[in-house]
Amino acid sequence: MIPIAKKIRVLIAKPGLDGHDRGAKVVARALRDAGMEVIYTGLRQTPEDIVEAAIQEDVDAIGLSCLSGAHMTLFPEVVKLLKKRKSGDILVAGGGIIPEEDVPKLKKAGIKVVFGPGTPLRDIVAFFETAGKGA
Amino acid sequence: MREAVPARKGAAHDSVSDLVDDLLAGNKRAAAKLISLIEDDEPEATDALARIFPHTGRAHVVGFTGPPGVGKSSLINRLVRKYRSRDRKVGVVAVDPTSPYTGGAVLGDRIRMADTGVDPGVFIRSMATRGHAGGLALATFDAVRVLDALGMDIVFVETVGAGQSEVEIATRAHTTVVVEMPMTGDAVQTMKAGILEIGDVYVVNKADLGNEDVLVANLKFQLTARDGWIPSVIRTAATEGRGIDELADALDRHAAYLDQTGFRAKREVARARLEILENAQRLLSRRVANRSRMGRAFDALAEDVAARRLDPHAAARKLLWPTRPREK
Repeated sequence: MIPIAKKIRVLIAKPGLDGHDRGAKVVARALRDAGMEVIYTGLRQTPEDIVEAAIQEDVDAIGLSCLSGAHMTLFPEVVKLLKKRKSGDILVAGGGIIPEEDVPKLKKAGIKVVFGPGTPLRDIVAFFETAGKGA
Repeated sequence: MREAVPARKGAAHDSVSDLVDDLLAGNKRAAAKLISLIEDDEPEATDALARIFPHTGRAHVVGFTGPPGVGKSSLINRLVRKYRSRDRKVGVVAVDPTSPYTGGAVLGDRIRMADTGVDPGVFIRSMATRGHAGGLALATFDAVRVLDALGMDIVFVETVGAGQSEVEIATRAHTTVVVEMPMTGDAVQTMKAGILEIGDVYVVNKADLGNEDVLVANLKFQLTARDGWIPSVIRTAATEGRGIDELADALDRHAAYLDQTGFRAKREVARARLEILENAQRLLSRRVANRSRMGRAFDALAEDVAARRLDPHAAARKLLWPTRPREK
């Protein structure tokens, strides 16, 4: 039996209209196997939906996956809404098909880290482990 | 009494009394933080629950159980919208299993409940079992209390997709809904003891698949009255929204029945008994764990048992009551 202990909780979300969630599912599975509690929201979520879910679930961090090219609009919107809801302490990570030149802009907008194609799962797990420890 | 909540993620420190004040004012973030405190079994949880408890007891608590994939989340999603259209606030606590190997979990019930979005009258919390058996987590019904105090009129509790004997929900909820689907077995399946004895309302979901009449007939054949209430059997097709009005009506009828007959109060007392015993057991086992960590006395007892100077039962009594060796 696993004793009750503080668990790292992560919301994995797919903002916008793209329907490709294999990557999000692979990440969710990897975080589960690392001992975290992963809430998966499913497809086609608005930034408002995602922020509401993150607050109700009291997650440590959010992983956003976007493969449609709308990341420059959707990712910063999530960060903005979190701050508005006094929940700016929830860390936001992004992943998907994201051009190199967009990465610094996303980071400037408050996205902590951007994981592109080919990122080893252990790097992603390590980020969320740090996020859960309040770093 | 420690007031500061440990920084879960480097957040501002909220004191328990502030969180409870915010909760009672209808703040969802406070509700979420309090549920986490309880779930993580933080020292502040006891204080928080003591403050919340006087503000609970109003919500109608409805438990949903049934095999995995039978449509519990989809039904709850439809019911949430139905109750919102009847202007009632709805809370949901949805439980999914924790891995016994890694301690991790994927909580996916929210996917089916995405329709509710940002409705201020809805609060959904996903919860992992964290090793608790019976289809629920240890913290599930304390989380229900938080949602009750938040002002939710009805709270749905979704159990882990249960097998045949996960019946704990029936001792906790006011109304227990057992969800089944067609084509899953013959008449003997519905005669078996366990999950098919606990329902106040039975739902035959996925009626769109056809063949639901056989299951409805089999269920009706074996119904047992609980507290004088003959369980309802409702046909639904959650994905099409069929039968949802009838299901909501059945839940309300059962709630009214419990109120009018006084059985709600009786169920509350039965539940209180269970909860007192459970909490006493938890305190006791914590005490045992502390004693066994105390070292020398425990080591000495173990030596005595190994050397056959003392039997393990007597050693256990000595561990708990060192000054009263003859305690039974």
